[in-house]
Amino acid sequence: MLPVVGAGSSLGILNLAAQTPAAPAGGPIKLNYKTLGKTGLKVTTVGMGCMITSDPSVITRAADLGITYFDTARGYQRGNNERMVGAALGNKRKQVILSTKTEAHDKDAMAKELDTSLKELNTDYVDIWYLHGLSRPADVHDDMIEGLQLAKQQGKARFVGISTHSGQQQLLPWMAQKGVFDVVLTSYNFTMDASMEQAIDVAAKAGMGVAALKVMAGGPRNQKLAQPGALLSALKWVIDKPNIATAIPSMTDMSQLDENLKAMAEPISADDHKVLAAHLEIIKPLYCRMCGECDGDCAKGLPVADMLRFLTYADGYGQFALGRERFLELTSEQTSVRCGDCAECTVKCPHGVAVRSRMARAQELFA
Amino acid sequence: MRFAPLALVPALLMAGTARAQDILSCQLAPGWTQSEAMHQYTADNLYDYKDGGAEGYLVYGFAGMKSITCKSGENTLIIDLSEMSDADAAYGLFASNHDPRLPIAKIGMGGQVQPLSATFAKGKYYVEIVENAADPNSDHTAELQALVNKMQQRIEGRDTPPEALAWFSQENLTSTGLVPQSVLGLKQLKHGFVAKYKQGQAFIVMEDSPESAAAVLKELRAGFDGSTSAQVGDEAFQAKAPYLDGICIFRKGRYVAGYANLPTAQQAASESIKLAANIP
Repeated sequence: MLPVVGAGSSLGILNLAAQTPAAPAGGPIKLNYKTLGKTGLKVTTVGMGCMITSDPSVITRAADLGITYFDTARGYQRGNNERMVGAALGNKRKQVILSTKTEAHDKDAMAKELDTSLKELNTDYVDIWYLHGLSRPADVHDDMIEGLQLAKQQGKARFVGISTHSGQQQLLPWMAQKGVFDVVLTSYNFTMDASMEQAIDVAAKAGMGVAALKVMAGGPRNQKLAQPGALLSALKWVIDKPNIATAIPSMTDMSQLDENLKAMAEPISADDHKVLAAHLEIIKPLYCRMCGECDGDCAKGLPVADMLRFLTYADGYGQFALGRERFLELTSEQTSVRCGDCAECTVKCPHGVAVRSRMARAQELFA
Repeated sequence: MRFAPLALVPALLMAGTARAQDILSCQLAPGWTQSEAMHQYTADNLYDYKDGGAEGYLVYGFAGMKSITCKSGENTLIIDLSEMSDADAAYGLFASNHDPRLPIAKIGMGGQVQPLSATFAKGKYYVEIVENAADPNSDHTAELQALVNKMQQRIEGRDTPPEALAWFSQENLTSTGLVPQSVLGLKQLKHGFVAKYKQGQAFIVMEDSPESAAAVLKELRAGFDGSTSAQVGDEAFQAKAPYLDGICIFRKGRYVAGYANLPTAQQAASESIKLAANIP
């Protein structure tokens, strides 16, 4: 029996009882594939991040529909996620690319974690094994690299890499130069600047496969981006990039799965670009990417990115006390500065953040 | 049972720093001393600490976290105290992280202590303790048990699991939890309690009103071709469907509940009748 997607329902929900193939938006399911760098693995350009998936049926159906890349981690839900993913994939395990991650920092602990992962995933190997969430070359010790290589030699991991949420501009070129990593799983989305694209280009040119996470730029929690179609546009933007082999948005239900599959069926359009550009315009004056390009630019010595983050605590998340607490940890020289006293602001954000007014707002709130 | 992670002020963790420090103290564990300053995380920077695992906290209405590291010789103890949107959310996070193969102990609303780790939830707080011991095979259960006992006494709030969990049949039950998004993988069932059995699973979703529950049921039924009406609760349907197998979904008042993944729709309906009887 072939899986069914909810094209038949005007409500856009899964047509669970239907017995004949159907596809999102009334057409056949279109899967696109790319090769994951030098691994040679063929992956669907839309993969699946299983981290917050609660019901295994979503994973099973994704595999039935032909998605080939599934990602989990030893640390997700203290191991429960791996167990669920293993059970959900069942006998389809060998038809898909399965990755997991370790947070261990020495080869012995890594080996122990990998053995646990394999047991929980009900498999004798993973296709990709990542060091989880590292940001700097200094975080990656020789012992950890040895642990990765050992796993490959033992046949427990076919390929190895690093997952990262920040610091890519330094980390990716270093990985490329090091030559021992097959894949990088990196946060990447339409809000990021050209330096990220350059870092990814370096990795890809070195033959590393590049997979993308955090592709929705804040995703469903970001109400402005949650406007109809915007998440799909964000996903299309990422998989349209030639250096990105696959993107792994989190999916919790069948409807999200159907929606995300459309990213492979419909190429990114001018309308998608308009939606994303409009969103960038909205967030630009407020949204600090923490790129660090303004470090040292303030004539009064203010840590601009940090202060903008404190302001986000208060304005963005309603956590005034935390923002103020962090502000008051600055030196007295810094807390006494008033941006309104400067004739001209020496900090020019390359991404359009209205630095002076935002800093003044922080001082008004916290000082 | 509504999670709103970004608009909350984490009262204890952020405003009541002194109280948080009472709970998060290495001195509660004899022989341990704090090795570095207390770290503090919000939804904005939890990724810095938990990497991709941060999502698992955010979906449960994460409001803030404080974390300390304690040292005793070569051993390290990391204690994280998370504040969630409410007690149900805290229990939900605990349930998602607990080991379903081990029993849940009466620590706050529920907890588990293992040789090198402990977790528990009380009130709207979720506590996670991990010990990195020089000997990874050592057993520190007793020491961790003593620590969580002291910590849970210092945390105010509910110390019983969510009431709805008691409505599920206990026979052949393997685990319960609070699904934060899309119960059964269906977006219409926004979030709710789930009980997993040796065969099949049951769920309970609380809507705002009987009217909204009726609308959800209607929308769901439209997605199940070939469904037939069932005599359960105020209204119900049953069906056989890919991925969910025999399923029955009913409404009782403002609750939408049912059974799935049973061999036949009839069996799902039979079990649903028992569940409906327990829902007030």
